[in-house]
Amino acid sequence: MKLAALMRKEFYRFFHDPRLIIAVLIPGVIIFLVYTVLGSILSSDKDETYAYRVFLSGDSVAVSLIGAAVEESGNTVEWVTATDAESAKSAVENGEATAFLAFSDGFDTAAGEVELYYTSGETESFSFGSIASALLREYGMRYRFQSVDLADESQLQSQFMGAFLPMLIVCFTFTASMGITVESVAGEKERGTIATILATSVKRSHVALGKIIPLACISLLGAASGFFGIVFSMPRLMGLSIAVFDFGIRNYILLFFLTVSIVPFIVACIALVSTYAKTVKEATAYVSIIMIFFIVLSVVAGIATGIGEWVVAVPVLNATVVMSLLLGGALPVWQTLVSVGCNLVYTALLVFLIAKMFQSERIMFR
Amino acid sequence: MTPIVVAEDLRKTFTLTRKQQRIERTREARRVAVNGLSFCAYRGEIYGLLGPNGAGKTTTLRILSTLIRPDAGDAYLLGHSVVKEAAKVRDCIGFLTGELKLEAFFTPDYLFEFFGAMHGLGKEEIRARKRDLFPRFGIDKFAQVKVGDLSTGMKQKVSLAISIVHDPEIIIFDEPTNGLDVLTTKVIVDFLAELKRMGKSILLSTHIFSLVEKLCDRVGVIIDGRMIAEDTLSALTAESSLEDKFFALYRQEKGDVI
Repeated sequence: MKLAALMRKEFYRFFHDPRLIIAVLIPGVIIFLVYTVLGSILSSDKDETYAYRVFLSGDSVAVSLIGAAVEESGNTVEWVTATDAESAKSAVENGEATAFLAFSDGFDTAAGEVELYYTSGETESFSFGSIASALLREYGMRYRFQSVDLADESQLQSQFMGAFLPMLIVCFTFTASMGITVESVAGEKERGTIATILATSVKRSHVALGKIIPLACISLLGAASGFFGIVFSMPRLMGLSIAVFDFGIRNYILLFFLTVSIVPFIVACIALVSTYAKTVKEATAYVSIIMIFFIVLSVVAGIATGIGEWVVAVPVLNATVVMSLLLGGALPVWQTLVSVGCNLVYTALLVFLIAKMFQSERIMFR
Repeated sequence: MTPIVVAEDLRKTFTLTRKQQRIERTREARRVAVNGLSFCAYRGEIYGLLGPNGAGKTTTLRILSTLIRPDAGDAYLLGHSVVKEAAKVRDCIGFLTGELKLEAFFTPDYLFEFFGAMHGLGKEEIRARKRDLFPRFGIDKFAQVKVGDLSTGMKQKVSLAISIVHDPEIIIFDEPTNGLDVLTTKVIVDFLAELKRMGKSILLSTHIFSLVEKLCDRVGVIIDGRMIAEDTLSALTAESSLEDKFFALYRQEKGDVI
């Protein structure tokens, strides 16, 4: 009952203060607006008509079907016979040609193979690649189809975004939880209001949990706001070839659990340093350092490859690495479960530490 | 007479930070705030801890209310040790001090219910206490106004009501009339007298002689963390006024510094 009263107080404090609600939820709205506007500006050339120049090796009925589909979409295509596969590929890479289609001999009569080379970084090339890929996938014959994206690293916006989404989620969580947690813990300590609660017979662990649980729920709202800000602005950004976000409901569910597991951990981290700090100012300085540390970690996790499986035991880093795997199209179920479990165990340890700190007169009444 | 608060050889020291050492121009690393303090308060009495600023009154009351632990010694409130049974002590005391503040965002009504719940009271008990205390202090007139918008006197009344929401046996007040206007001071003084009539035991710290003379049955004079004199008010003031007696004790202890 005492814990319930403590939690109710935190929720009441938040939901009856419009300024706090706006501060927590506004990042998601801003992200949605910025991404949507950005997507609209950058993809405004989508309505342009393209004159594709495609190198062709071998022949197939599919070529005329692709040509018809291209014309139907209001574009034109010029088929150029490729003399040498390598020079055709480099022409595509250099942007001198739109794509390179290579059919094996007798493709239409035997189960052959077809290779499509394009660059996702070039809007025109990606546009042709999408049309050709869709048509070849629907083509009724048995054959092996290989689609090769020749985009270089600077052009791989999708991989770039995929690498940075975990960092964005960590950022949203920090920004959503930092203000309210520092205010709720260090602020109350500075104003002497938490001492009034500690003068009652309520358990210190309940005081800690009475802060962490509601603040984590509220921060989750903020993180969700940021997350949905991205998801809802994706259709515009996907027009920029960010096909990496085209993943299923199971991936979204795992992503949700990972996010949910890092929120209470981050809130508990902030609450811990806020409990130690004498003032809100001091707490904000400490939290900023922690935020930078975790953001750098999540950026590294998004970019670095070959990180060992030990990473599932490292809080926050585990979630960002597994998020990167998810965004890469994998379905890392056990890594998700272990990461979520580890993050919750670490959160429980932090709650225990905070409760101990509430008992320390040196920390609470200095 | 039943002893209700028994302090036995309490000792408390604080570490001075470098900044504090600079400000106070001292090299001592530790400051003794309470130095072997012992006293006894009895059921139904008002016990006054009288002393100048920095004498150790607040530290003593903080130890008794279990906010801080003594370095040595122990104190027993209703038989519960402040060192070993802190939660039980907190349940049987009401503590009012300037350092325990109320959140400005909430209303007196909300905070009264919240602190009632913190002391484990049910909704009906809280309502009954509210019906009793709010009209008595005139809080019902501003029960729905945020604490941040209240005057100092109103805040003190709310703090007082909240500190006794659970109807404690022992009430500890640290400088209860500090910074209050004469009207609010009268309300608080009258209420303390009423609490005494109701059989509550009260421990208060103050440096206001008139307050002690008006309310206290027993007085302990603290200087530099030590109990210099302890007796009933009538015994202490048998030969001179409390003020004269206090300064005589002070000169005896500190020399002719005033």
